[in-house]
Amino acid sequence: MHTEHTEHEEIHADHGHIHPAPQGFIRKYVFSLDHKVIGFQYFFTGLFIMLIAGSFAELIRIQLTSPAGAIMSHTQYNEMFTMHGTAMVWMVLIPLVTGAIGNFVMPLQIGARDVAFPWLNMISFWIFPIAALTLFSSMLFGGPHAGWTEYPPVSLEDGTAGALWCLAIFIIGISSTMTGMNFMVTIQKMRAPGMTWTRMPLFCWATFATALMNMFATVALSVATGCLFLEHVFNVPWYDPTRGGSPVLFEHMFWFYSHPAVYIFIIPAFGVVSEILPVFSRKPVFGYKMIAFSSMAISLLAFTVWAHHMFPSGLAPWLQLPFMLLTYAIGVPTGIKIFSWIATLWGGRIYLTTPMLYAVGFLITFTFGGLTGVYLACVPFDLHEHGTYFVVGHFHYVVAGGAVMGFLGSIPFWYPKATGRLMNETLGKIGFWLFFIGLNGTFGPMHWLGLEGMPRRYASYEVFAKAFPDAVFWNRFESAFSFLMVASIALLIFNLLWSLKNGVVAGLNPWGARTLEWTISSPPPYYNFKNIPHVFDGPYDYSKPLPYENLDNEQPEFPEFGRVVMPIPLQTAGAGAH
Amino acid sequence: MAQERTPQPKIVQFEGLGPGFWPVTIFLFAVSVALALYWCFGNIDWLMPGWEHPLTDRTADIDDLVKFMSVFASAIMVFVTGYVVYFVIAFRARPGQSADTIGVPVHDSPKLEFWWTILPSALLAVLSAWSIVVWYKIYFGTSAPALTAEVVAHQFYFEVRYPGLKTGVATNSEPMHLPVGVPIRLLVTSADVIHQFWVPEIRLKTAGVPGLVQNLNFTADHTGTYDITCTEFCGAGHSVMQGKIVFDQVPAFNTWLNDKKKSEAAAAAPINLASGDKAAGQALFAQKCSACHNNPPTPFDQKLVGPGLLHITDDPAHPNLVTGKPPTPQNIAWILQNGFTGSIGTMPNRQANGLSDTDIANLVAYLTSLK
Repeated sequence: MHTEHTEHEEIHADHGHIHPAPQGFIRKYVFSLDHKVIGFQYFFTGLFIMLIAGSFAELIRIQLTSPAGAIMSHTQYNEMFTMHGTAMVWMVLIPLVTGAIGNFVMPLQIGARDVAFPWLNMISFWIFPIAALTLFSSMLFGGPHAGWTEYPPVSLEDGTAGALWCLAIFIIGISSTMTGMNFMVTIQKMRAPGMTWTRMPLFCWATFATALMNMFATVALSVATGCLFLEHVFNVPWYDPTRGGSPVLFEHMFWFYSHPAVYIFIIPAFGVVSEILPVFSRKPVFGYKMIAFSSMAISLLAFTVWAHHMFPSGLAPWLQLPFMLLTYAIGVPTGIKIFSWIATLWGGRIYLTTPMLYAVGFLITFTFGGLTGVYLACVPFDLHEHGTYFVVGHFHYVVAGGAVMGFLGSIPFWYPKATGRLMNETLGKIGFWLFFIGLNGTFGPMHWLGLEGMPRRYASYEVFAKAFPDAVFWNRFESAFSFLMVASIALLIFNLLWSLKNGVVAGLNPWGARTLEWTISSPPPYYNFKNIPHVFDGPYDYSKPLPYENLDNEQPEFPEFGRVVMPIPLQTAGAGAH
Repeated sequence: MAQERTPQPKIVQFEGLGPGFWPVTIFLFAVSVALALYWCFGNIDWLMPGWEHPLTDRTADIDDLVKFMSVFASAIMVFVTGYVVYFVIAFRARPGQSADTIGVPVHDSPKLEFWWTILPSALLAVLSAWSIVVWYKIYFGTSAPALTAEVVAHQFYFEVRYPGLKTGVATNSEPMHLPVGVPIRLLVTSADVIHQFWVPEIRLKTAGVPGLVQNLNFTADHTGTYDITCTEFCGAGHSVMQGKIVFDQVPAFNTWLNDKKKSEAAAAAPINLASGDKAAGQALFAQKCSACHNNPPTPFDQKLVGPGLLHITDDPAHPNLVTGKPPTPQNIAWILQNGFTGSIGTMPNRQANGLSDTDIANLVAYLTSLK
């Protein structure tokens, strides 16, 4: 055993020495190079903006409790849904799932001391608050009004606010591209020795697939918003049809990014679910390779389906066909994932902890969102339902029921690793049920309202309410349920703070999980791994000993949680072997 | 060490595929079949408005596609939800199990994975074929149109232009009409930003994109009045951009169109301006025109909404009217009759302003007297 260790130390000599610890508040917590601290920075910034963008959503819901519009003018309402969508997509979801969770978890899971380019990582983060300030400052100039898609020519009416919107999206695009590049290099070059691609945790596969899209799709968005900025500020007629521009061109470039963008936040959630399900089912994830490869397949197909957002918007009819068929094709790898996750549950020994509840809830809500996606991919159906609340319902089932559920599940799952303490389970479970019920109550009836003929982005719906009187009741129903989600997020924030002091001490590995981050102390030291571990098998087989050697802690403990919540002793994670 | 590395794991014990697996599966299958029967034979008018009496030949095509998708989507939803809930209950960790018990260490099952790749693929292949058939009908399946009308979307109304009619029908003030039983083609475009033209019961929509003309082809089946809605965000008035569409039998439609033509001809007919009364014209100007034109009249450049009309007949800077014609009484009357749209803005026509022949004569007398 000791000889083995020396041997491995020699192998890992090329991984370099451990850098000296950062000194002083600024270096440690502000301009930190540590991927974990940067992850926290993304987390808190993203969560803060989520509160703002979420309160915009609630203003939208309150407005719709009355067919004439309860509280705002049409112009104010248009500003609210524009800011809600823009902030949620670019300033909340993408930073949270890639920046926060990806940054904190991925290097730990591959056994690295940091990402490949820590300086670049720090710069990526600090670009983000600048972009957020630029976006929100647009509200001082009247705010953008044309929806999160900001289609010209109508968005050209936004003036300075529209220019600031373009600038904010352009800036955050730089951050996304750099993070994507950083993660791609990190995953390719910095995996612990022995961690082959097929021994890599599924969250890292998901992060890799996401990084690919972040890197190659964001360029199109930067060009689209860059040109729109030039049109706003210097009157260059890229998109104004009266002067030879093409508004459809903007749609193409916008969606060439923004369709992959949806997968940029859903695929990390796939990764989170793939981590949570085996741990709390106490069995290997079913069809590891199929899940990993389908993540890659989805991210490649994501580049080929953008125009399904534009079926009625000036696409030649024959061009609709390939986009319809390719979009259908995405259903296959997505289905494989769903079925594999369900098979992971089969024959398990299932603990319904808070993260597990979110993962299981995700399976149901995401499947629903995926199925309505097949409807919308169908050109004839889309010609009927494009631009209605059916689309809003579908989108929110995928985003809130998919990406956000995955994100909310990842918080209690990795919180003990980040802080050394567990989050309160009772509060967590109440929070889950509030969110799950609130989500279905808010976004479920939207499909029906859309089918009945309610268009999206309507500040008032008096004509529709005349044709379909039940619309008033169902809009109020949705608004009421949306507050359950608010309560859930409030509970989450309380739990985050409360558990810092009062949570059960977690130890190294409270869940008896088998990926590398659980072999080091909680919270991890700034260098993560004193000894870079050697990997000789995949991470998910609970019938085997831990597939690592040269660990920092010879006896990874599972103590406190084992006694308090989930009686799993040491041996089941196989750690006793060393 | 070798023994240490291969501890005998305790694995959960259960019979077959799990307690109650087959009864649950049969139950889920029964629910799926019941839902499938509902989709095939039930009344889905509450989901697809106008399903019972399809308004156009496309309505039924699209609704059939919806039924087909719903049969399988609801089955997938039932099985996913059912199995997730059932597995979570059936395979829950139990207090009796020793603490180090693990789940069945199964990694994959090539046979199962083969089938759950092949079956959805086959299903999507059928759906693809069906979708293409309906898509073909939508774009290429209509015989030569008996009526082609043009829909021009504006912020925030649809203007519909009919053959033989010079002025369009603005759907914010009066409904558009279409005949039933004959193939119709609507050419849709926009005068300003991107809009969408949608009537839920027709099932089809298309965007009005400035600089681009797209078409909608269908044959309506029965008469009725429906709402037209804009479904692409188009600005501050998007939420009020609605109109009405009326489907008439062909004779009724022809009557309506001929009436429009007659009133248009009457509106454009020359008016005897000789009897105009200046004082009556001045009173009328204060009442009908002062919302947009300064009253008392100001020079051209002092605009309210429209230009000031003080020097309408003798302004050296603007020797011609906005129509580009010299300021003769007849040419001024023409604007009052027909309205005007140009870069300077839009003035409504005589119908919209409610002007009789006498009113126009009086206004012309007043305006030409201004110095």
